[in-house]
Amino acid sequence: MKVQQDFFQGSMRVKVQGKMIEPFLQACVRRGCVISNIKRVNEHEAVMTIRLSEWKTFRQLRKKYRCKLSILGGRGFPFYYRKITQRKALMAAFLLSVIVVFLLANTLWSIKVEGLTPELEANVEKKLKSYGVSPGKLTIGMDDPNDIQRKLLDDIPDLLWIGVNKKGTSYQLYGVEKTRHDTSKNLRPSDLVAEKKGMIVKTFIEKGRPLVTVNDVVKKGQKLATGQLVEDKDIFVHTEGEVIAETWYKVDQSIPMTQVLQLTDGLEIKEYQLKIGSLTIPLWGWWKENGPQFRSENKETSWEWFGWKLPIDLKAIHYYEIDSKKYEQSKDKIQKLGIITASESLNQYLGKEAEIMKEKVLHLREENGKVKLILLFKVHENIAVTKYISQGD
Amino acid sequence: MAKWQKQIRTWIGRYFDLPSDVMLDLPRITTIGSIHVYIENHTGLLHFSDHEVRIQYKQGQVKIIGKDLGVKMMLKEELLLEGEIKSVEFLPEA
Repeated sequence: MKVQQDFFQGSMRVKVQGKMIEPFLQACVRRGCVISNIKRVNEHEAVMTIRLSEWKTFRQLRKKYRCKLSILGGRGFPFYYRKITQRKALMAAFLLSVIVVFLLANTLWSIKVEGLTPELEANVEKKLKSYGVSPGKLTIGMDDPNDIQRKLLDDIPDLLWIGVNKKGTSYQLYGVEKTRHDTSKNLRPSDLVAEKKGMIVKTFIEKGRPLVTVNDVVKKGQKLATGQLVEDKDIFVHTEGEVIAETWYKVDQSIPMTQVLQLTDGLEIKEYQLKIGSLTIPLWGWWKENGPQFRSENKETSWEWFGWKLPIDLKAIHYYEIDSKKYEQSKDKIQKLGIITASESLNQYLGKEAEIMKEKVLHLREENGKVKLILLFKVHENIAVTKYISQGD
Repeated sequence: MAKWQKQIRTWIGRYFDLPSDVMLDLPRITTIGSIHVYIENHTGLLHFSDHEVRIQYKQGQVKIIGKDLGVKMMLKEELLLEGEIKSVEFLPEA
């Protein structure tokens, strides 16, 4: 305990010189001072440790006993403190680092939104920004996560619930979107009508009265189900349902037998340009020759400075030498290729729900270096479309 | 007068079984082996060097002889010496 007390108060090693050392020490002690570790050096000299706070007493008594005091060194907190404060640059750096660490720790670095559609996510982020919550802002003075949660729920009606979590320097949001039942859906009386010609494979009429059965062949525009529930009566409902029918598609293709492929043979010439605004300065490689047998690829690198786009761009142009090669293909291969490409494009045209059941090659002929290919596709798809009944007045 | 007072003190001390250092103003000297000397109730340090320390008390002086003597701690009426102690000698004033 005593050692600690001495450390905080500070102690000094002092040399006393004079003829009356003992009386001097005695006088000091009588005044209440504590002296420790006294060592006699010689007849007129002694070294001792005293407390910093009692230094005044020693100085007052020194003259009376004709002693000379000289400080050899200090120890303890007051001396360390002084030593540190004397190094101003060090202190400034220390304070600055503390401030920087504090600021960085209290800066919002990222916002993560989960569980929402991209549109709603963008909406949430926009709203957050309007509350002053965006990456790079200080979290001091920012709203409480609970407040943000409440505000978001108030401001965005499409949100069913959103959880706002502050995790260190990032906000994590987890949202649940409201599943909206489309109330604006038109439920006027309607019929189901065939969109195209086909043979019915499967019917599923949710509402309304079906008029066709499986294996019926329907024409375009033919009624598949009606909203008139009972024949010759004026009760009309909205009809809903699915009618899967087999439909047929004919595909004409002509594919050249020889194909020219443009291959890059590995020779590459690089050219660099610096763009400042609309001005272009060639930097490197502008002296190199290249002809039409070169394909060029441009890469532009733009620099940003804290969100500011700099007007300087570096443009790199890579020229690749092209080697054209001809390939001749067999009839068989072309047929396979034709089927694949045709079914892919048909799939794209029909949408996800349609299913290609079968394909058949109707015609395959070689003509002037080209292959003429006619294909027939058998497709199962929903042909039902809603047609509203005009009830007149 | 002083002699009469002293006699009274001695008598009270004996009667109440009090420690004699309190009653008679004598120094209490405790030694720990021959390495430490603890002196209480002294009245002053008269002389000290690394081989000899003289201490004043009410009725005389104490002389401590040793080697590499040093004062570990010095308070108003206490003194802690350390070093290699050889002898403690009393020199009462006649």
